[in-house]
Parts: sequence; structure tokens; C-alpha cells
Amino acid sequence: MKKTWIIVVAILALVVIFCVTSYNSLVSKEEAVETAWSNVENQYQRRADLIPNLVNTVKGYADHEKETLDAVVSARAKATQTSVSLDELTPERMAAFQKAQGELSSALSRLLVTVERYPDLKANQNFQTLQAQLEGTENRISVERRKFNDEARQYNTSIRRFPANIIASMFGFEKHPYFEAEEGSEKAPEVKF
Amino acid sequence: MKRKLLLLLFISACISLVAREYTVENLPMPRSQGNVYVTNPDGILSSAAVSVMDTTLYALEKQTGIQVLVAAVEQIEGGDCFDFAYRLGRHAGVGEKERDNGLVILLVTSERCIQFVTGYGLEGDLPDALCKQIQQRYMNPELAEGNWDAGMVAGVQAVRGILDGSMERQPSAGNEEDDMLILMIFISCFVLAPAALWYSVRQRNRCPQCHKHTLRQLSVRTVSRENGIRTEEVVYRCTNCGHIKRQQRKSRDNDNHHHPGGWGGPFMGGPFFGGGGGHGGGGGFSGGSFGGGDFGGGGAGSRF
Repeated sequence: MKKTWIIVVAILALVVIFCVTSYNSLVSKEEAVETAWSNVENQYQRRADLIPNLVNTVKGYADHEKETLDAVVSARAKATQTSVSLDELTPERMAAFQKAQGELSSALSRLLVTVERYPDLKANQNFQTLQAQLEGTENRISVERRKFNDEARQYNTSIRRFPANIIASMFGFEKHPYFEAEEGSEKAPEVKF
Repeated sequence: MKRKLLLLLFISACISLVAREYTVENLPMPRSQGNVYVTNPDGILSSAAVSVMDTTLYALEKQTGIQVLVAAVEQIEGGDCFDFAYRLGRHAGVGEKERDNGLVILLVTSERCIQFVTGYGLEGDLPDALCKQIQQRYMNPELAEGNWDAGMVAGVQAVRGILDGSMERQPSAGNEEDDMLILMIFISCFVLAPAALWYSVRQRNRCPQCHKHTLRQLSVRTVSRENGIRTEEVVYRCTNCGHIKRQQRKSRDNDNHHHPGGWGGPFMGGPFFGGGGGHGGGGGFSGGSFGGGDFGGGGAGSRF
């Protein structure tokens, strides 16, 4: 009689320990995804912060490229509006976010192609600095996107695995969407001579 | 027939002429070539230039702890210089693990590109715009002419000029695994060993009749002494139920074979303290084996 109780208690303790450890590991994995996501957003924000400066510099030399400049400014406004936190990151919102950022990328690369026609601007020290920063930011964006996808993949795998999936569904751990490789946003705007 | 053979010959000649496309995994690391910081598998750089760069970068690492990997190759897999340099830096773990202060300088002659990739910890001291300036001012003019040696040496020296004094080299405190090991040893010394001791003492005074831990030792009597083994009979009595327990125990006869500290010696002086000293010594400065730094896509690249 006493023995059966001990066995029951031991099994219960094991179950509880299992629940706690798998819950904790899910939490830390989700935290890693969250960090990766905020890094991605930081880099996009960094790019958005560079744009006003870039636009002003270009304006000084190439004022009649108004159309291209306006396209960049409006794409930037749209992209900064569609920032989302990880909690409400549904696949649809992810697609919208990616689309807005992708449009900004293509507007930027159009601007940089236009700039090729202005040798004075290209020789401008300030513009060169901005361009280097912009390229670096594009690289950082692609790196952080890749890291986010890796973290999200690990997390998504672990919430679907048995038996942690029971814990995951009990406590409402949800799948996170990935960044899809997309034309234009994956590569830094390339400047051809 | 003859024409086919000629074609085949031509194709095979072409293949042997085409330089090897390196991947991040199969690119020889500097250590295996006898250099410390420069990997030059296609012989693009002269050995004089390589040794100049090695000396410069050694001095830099000695002073600041910043680790630099210079790679000069003809072709890379994929052809994306940034991507290759970034993955190379992470794969080789350039930079210290705690500070991520690595820098990769990649020259790909067939792509005509020069690429800097900075670790997270270097992005402040060597910002992207500065990388680009170094390339445009010191490297590209030489590289465009095919003066690989002059361009690369000038770039490395410019980098050293900027990074000199940017940070201090930290005495490395051993890596994480060592810390874990020491922690484990501490736990076993201060937690597990006392627990085991307490348990064995408790087991010894457990009464076989009433299962209470109330046995008290009454007397010890030596039964026999043979071949240096002493047999003693210990009598215990339970204070709870009065049960008497007799137990024989054998021990080495210390009267004849006295080894002072024979057991304590190797434990105290051996693996624990000796090992600790070894970790401290091993964590010193070792150029060439990189520390496992991470990269976040900083740096700049340009074509010449």
C-alpha cells in the first residue's frame, strides 16, 4: 500500500519535472526568436534612419530626380508604419512587412542607379559614407534575417515534436513565420559601373 | 575520331587550368600553412608580403586582442564576396568569443572584389564607411593594376593604424568549458562528497531490526592480523530496541605499512590543483587559433 503511493508520487514528480523542463526550454527558445526578431527590426530601422540623410544629400545635387526621391520617401514611410511585434506576427503580417521593406529596397536601388548619372554627387564624401553605411546595413539585414529564420526553425521544430507539443499547445506556444527569400530584398542594391 | 580526342584533350586542359573554387569548409586555414593570419592557397601573394602581414597582425593581436583573417583566393563558390567572407568568419570563429572582435579581409581575384567583414565588437571601431575608405584610398588603386601584394599590405597596415589602441587585450580567463569543469569539481567537492559521507555514516548506524538510525558503537576488537591485513570485530548496539550487531571489517595494517598521505596526496596535489594550473597556463596568447567570434554583417566591400 505504502509502496504503491511512493511509486505514484515518483511518477507524478517525474511528470512535473518533465513539464517544467520542457516548458522552460520552450520559453528560452521563444526568447531567442524574439531577440532575433528585434535584431531584424533594428537593422530595418537603421536603414530607415539613414534614408532622410541620403535623400537630402542627393537633393542637393540632383533636384530634378524628384520622382525617384519621392518614391523612396513614401516607401520609407510605408515601411516604418508596418513594424510588428513578434506576438502579432502572423504569416499575413509577415508577408505585408516583407512587402513594404522590399518596396523600400527597390526604390532605394532605383535611386542609387539614378545617382550614377551625377559624378559630382558620387565624389561627395558625405554621399560615399552614406552609401557605405547603406550597403553595410543591407548586409546586416540579410544576416539578421538568416539568423531569425534559424532561430524560428529551431523553435518551430521543438513545438511540433512529441511530447513537447502537448506542453506547447497547453500554454499556447505558436508557430512563427519565416522570411521568404524574395527578389530585390535579399541582395544589397548593386551599383554597376 | 581524332577531332573528338583533341576536343577531349582541350576540355581536360581547360579543367586543369581553371582554378579551384573554394568553399568555406575546404579553404585551408592559416595554421595549416605555417602562417598565422594569412591564407594564400593559390599563391597570389608573395611570401614576403605574407610575412609582413603576419607580423603586423601579430602585433595587433598582441596589443588589442583583435584577430584578423586575411584570405586571398582566385575563385569562391557562389561568387558572392560578402556572403563568403561572412560565412568564413563565422566558420573559422575569427575574434574572441566574448568580444566578437574579428575581422575578415577577403580578396577574390576572379571576382575582382575586396571585402571586409567586421565582428559585432569591431563595428564601432571600424565602421563600414571607414572600411570602404581604406579600400578606396589604399587598396583599390593597387589591386586594379594587379599589384596584389602592395594593395593587401597597404590595407592591412591601414587597418592596424586605425585599430591600434582601440582596445586592450584581455587576459583570457579560459574558455567556457573549463569554467564548467571547475564548477563541476567544486560541486563534487563541496556538495556531493559531504552528502555521500553523510549517507554512508547514516547507513552504518541503521539498525537491521527496527530500521532506525540509532546504532551506537560499543567496542572494537582485533580478531586477526595476517599478511598486513587486520581484521577487527565491531560491536554495535541499538539504543532504540537493544539489538546487538556484530560486524567484521578489514583494513590494511598501518603498523607495518605506513604511507603518510598515501591517499590524500594524489588527490590534493594531482588532478585538481595541477589541472587548475594547466588551464591558467593554456589560456595564454596563441596567435592563429581563432577564438570563436560572431559576425553580424558589418564591414564593406568594393570592386576594383
